[in-house]
Amino acid sequence: MSTTSPGSTGTAAAPAPVARPVEGAVLLREIQQLGITHVITVPDTHQKTLLELLAAAARPRLLTVCTEDEAIAINAGLYIGGQRPMLLIQNNGLLASINALKAIALEARVPTFFLVGQFARDVTRSNAESPVRAVRMVEPTMATWGVPCYPIEGPEDVPAIARAYRQCLEERGPAVALLGAPTS
Amino acid sequence: MQREEAIAALAAVRDGALSVATMQTVLAWHEAGQAATDHVDNMGCMGTASALGLGLALAQPDRRVMVLDGDGSLLMQLGSLVTIAGAAPPNYYHFVFDNGLYETTGNQPLPARVDFCGLARSAGYRDAVSFDRADALREALPGIFASEGPILVRLAIAREDGPIRWPRVKMADQVVALKERLATQP
Repeated sequence: MSTTSPGSTGTAAAPAPVARPVEGAVLLREIQQLGITHVITVPDTHQKTLLELLAAAARPRLLTVCTEDEAIAINAGLYIGGQRPMLLIQNNGLLASINALKAIALEARVPTFFLVGQFARDVTRSNAESPVRAVRMVEPTMATWGVPCYPIEGPEDVPAIARAYRQCLEERGPAVALLGAPTS
Repeated sequence: MQREEAIAALAAVRDGALSVATMQTVLAWHEAGQAATDHVDNMGCMGTASALGLGLALAQPDRRVMVLDGDGSLLMQLGSLVTIAGAAPPNYYHFVFDNGLYETTGNQPLPARVDFCGLARSAGYRDAVSFDRADALREALPGIFASEGPILVRLAIAREDGPIRWPRVKMADQVVALKERLATQP
């Protein structure tokens, strides 16, 4: 609900954001500190600044692929071969890749860490209240499959990325860090 | 050529290469004694064998990687040709068993026959070659393995109508075994 104060011009105040941007540089530093060797991406509108930094960084290697199914399988091959990969995709892509997630991350028990941008999210509303299905349905869909989901709603949530990644390795399965606002 | 003839030719020149098999190549590769070590099956996710092999090839640049793919499987993730060509791993060898049929579901025809070699070359593979005779394949394979990848080898194989069988091996167990082996015997 918006209000106007006495004597104001009558212009409604903008709703306060629920999700706030995390700097791309902060995310890159977090990824590097985790020892990630490869970031496999189908590019995400939400994570443009992070993608730019990754493209310019000496490590990890940024690998752009055609589909999220491929990304999950490439992640598996890299993991088997001794590397520490992760995925950077958007919500629509995560939903498109459920069969690969099922077969490779869940059934074959390959650690599969997703950093997922909530494309088309109105940052003044929670994920659950979003009118956009791709935004609203990611968490319930992952819950249905038993995939842990860690919302990253602002800079204070960044430590959850490391928790999600470690959970992947320890439990040999998937985990999702869900980025609520576009990176700055 | 028969699938088993092609499998035997590949097994004969494998020489320690890592392998990934999918769909109808899985059982044949197992029965040829090639799946006990340095191998993983791509199960439950038709189309992603080529990408799994790409990850292995990038992670293990000093090992050759053989992907035993199917025509219908590759069509499911045709973009992987572009991804593989973009990454350009020189140790990547992509064998596509092509009989124009979805075998596991009862030999229904593919939507259309395609020129996999032409697609691979257009995508940017270093080379692509096709064989319809086992003797010609046997003769050419050493030279193919001596060349830098990524190379696609299309294998024209005959239709088979037998029952569909799968080995009793879990991909999850193969993942653990291969990861441990590569960690201790790189």
